[in-house]
Amino acid sequence: MRVLDILLGGLFHAAVLFLVAAGLQLVFGVQKIVNLACGSFYAFGAYVGIAAISAALSFGLPPTLFPAVLVLAGLVAALVGVAVELLLRQAYKRDDSFQMLLTFAVMLMFQDIIRFIWGATPLSLTGVYMVYGTVNIGSLSVPAYNLIVIAIGGGLALALAYFLRKTNYGRILRAAAENPGMGQALGVNVRRLYQVTFVLGTALGTIGGALVVPASAASVDMGLELVVEAFAVVVIGGLGSMPGAALGAVTVGLTRSLVVSLYPEFDLLSIYVIVVFILVVRPRGIFGEATA
Amino acid sequence: MNRRKFLKSASSFGLVAASGVYAPALAQAGPLKVGLLAARSGALGNIGEGGLRAVQWSVDRLNKQGGIAGRRVELVVEEETSPKDTSDRFKKLVLQNGVECVQGVISTGVTLSLGVLAEESRTIFIAWDGTTQSGVDETMPNPKYTFRSTDNEVEAIIAGVLAINRYQGQFRTIAGFNNDYSYGRNAWSVFQALLKKYKIDNQSVSEQWVKVGSVDLTPAVNAVRASDPDLLYLSVLFGEAPVLMKQASAAGLFQRAKLVYSMGGFNQSQLKKEFTPEGMILGLNTLDFDYPNASPLQKEFVAYYMDRFKEPPTSAAERAYFAMELYARGVERAAKAVGKWPTKEDITANMEDLEVESLGGKARMKKNHIPEQLFFIGTTTHDNKYDFVTVKDVQAISSEQFQKPPNTDFWKWIESAKFEI
Repeated sequence: MRVLDILLGGLFHAAVLFLVAAGLQLVFGVQKIVNLACGSFYAFGAYVGIAAISAALSFGLPPTLFPAVLVLAGLVAALVGVAVELLLRQAYKRDDSFQMLLTFAVMLMFQDIIRFIWGATPLSLTGVYMVYGTVNIGSLSVPAYNLIVIAIGGGLALALAYFLRKTNYGRILRAAAENPGMGQALGVNVRRLYQVTFVLGTALGTIGGALVVPASAASVDMGLELVVEAFAVVVIGGLGSMPGAALGAVTVGLTRSLVVSLYPEFDLLSIYVIVVFILVVRPRGIFGEATA
Repeated sequence: MNRRKFLKSASSFGLVAASGVYAPALAQAGPLKVGLLAARSGALGNIGEGGLRAVQWSVDRLNKQGGIAGRRVELVVEEETSPKDTSDRFKKLVLQNGVECVQGVISTGVTLSLGVLAEESRTIFIAWDGTTQSGVDETMPNPKYTFRSTDNEVEAIIAGVLAINRYQGQFRTIAGFNNDYSYGRNAWSVFQALLKKYKIDNQSVSEQWVKVGSVDLTPAVNAVRASDPDLLYLSVLFGEAPVLMKQASAAGLFQRAKLVYSMGGFNQSQLKKEFTPEGMILGLNTLDFDYPNASPLQKEFVAYYMDRFKEPPTSAAERAYFAMELYARGVERAAKAVGKWPTKEDITANMEDLEVESLGGKARMKKNHIPEQLFFIGTTTHDNKYDFVTVKDVQAISSEQFQKPPNTDFWKWIESAKFEI
């Protein structure tokens, strides 16, 4: 039972972490921008999720629809990515450090925007988390909502893999990521492609934030903690790799869950021991591709 | 900033101060400028915002009554962030804005830096928290210009003693959810020191250190649930509080364990009934809701706050109000004593041993610049008009017997002190 408890706790964390890290990977993979603002999208999604559920409750929507409402809220919140991408266009041909500074500035701006709209006091949802009850496995009792989030996270991972590998647009996206000049020569609207990619990356973060909020709370700085872990995921999995994001998220989630259970003082340390190990023995990450 | 640069900067600051830049204005016709350092974003944002609102309310009332000793109060607000940046803003407030007193700041790390600057620059500084102690040890044994408006370790002792009184013989295994932060570490150590002092047979089965800003505590909750403690001790301060309560409640952690929460005053409105059980010992620092037996001042403030901001105040509001009230009465007392506008030294001398009416009742600034004040603790109840828990069987306990004598070892003092609740 203890093992199952650790496993489910780790997978719940990994599901949300995967979404944020996948957004980071997608944007880097295609646009070659390390987007530090991905944590802010996660926080923004959480606040929009609260607003959406509050609206759903006032309209009397049944609880069974809440997960769909949250995913939809995350998609709507992702439209903010359109505006952010317009800003980032100024940095596409600039130095990497300039791009990072710009996304860092966006992250700080988002903190104040969120505080301006929703205030500094953390917000939490009531009447949602436990509405689905608990699943009892022997002596173990797990909130059903946690399992729903794990399922949605897994489902989105599969959907993303399908989109990137099996659809025409996904193939174009991967091809343009490899060689944008060639893509443009073949008639691909690279500017539009970048916009779609960035909004999709944003959506992964905002959906993650919206999904976690019934089990948690929304606070102005909630993105900071996650963005640090998201970068650990990226280092472990390999920058720009989707399978890497999935493996990295599961590694971080399960490691945290296990270490917190055995020796909580080493919570962060354990993750960064893995990060350092990967950086030393395989600097490009497990699924990352070697660069010249 | 490294230590050498910091000391250099602080020394230059002291030289400027000694040269007379900080001498009180000879003609006191202009407004009395008071600097405020309050976090309005980040993990401390809602606490800083709450303190700011209370000070604004206090200043509006003071100005309606003619200001402080005849001078209208004007607030100059700056942000509390890192120790280095906040120190720079402290200097800006004093050197550029010409404030005569600085108030605010929650973070212990920041207040420790500002305390040094305040003493160097001979600027009256009343911290809303922290300052003269690093954790529980004095870093400034005899501060002259630096005051603090609360002593939060008191809450940890009160909650611990009350828990032992109430649950003695009903628990053996204990677990803790405390912030990975000086207060959280101290609070847990205080509880364990009290268990040792009263010879309570116990075994710590899980100690979880919650990082400030955490939004997923599922692994920590699962670990504590697996350890199945008889008693759960909580001292989570910031936005993590509702996350912890929600996830712990969902995991069934509150079904069997006795619960003690030493400091819920920063987050009371977020402790929703849905996931916060009744019967938990809850320390509030001060009363933040419409409590029938509260003072008229507290009732007026809570009514104003809830009407204006649609949420209850945090305990930081009380400590911020106390800081301003202490300064106002200190200035007036000093002015009356010297018959003219008082110097900073006159004011600080008159703030010592001064008792004022604060939101949480009467409070007195002691000679060691740490106040004697009331702390409120009770048992959570759902029997109220709010969506969050309040407390019943409220005990208003003076901090006096729970504060160590100056310059003594806190942990040794606990061993020999007499605590009565």
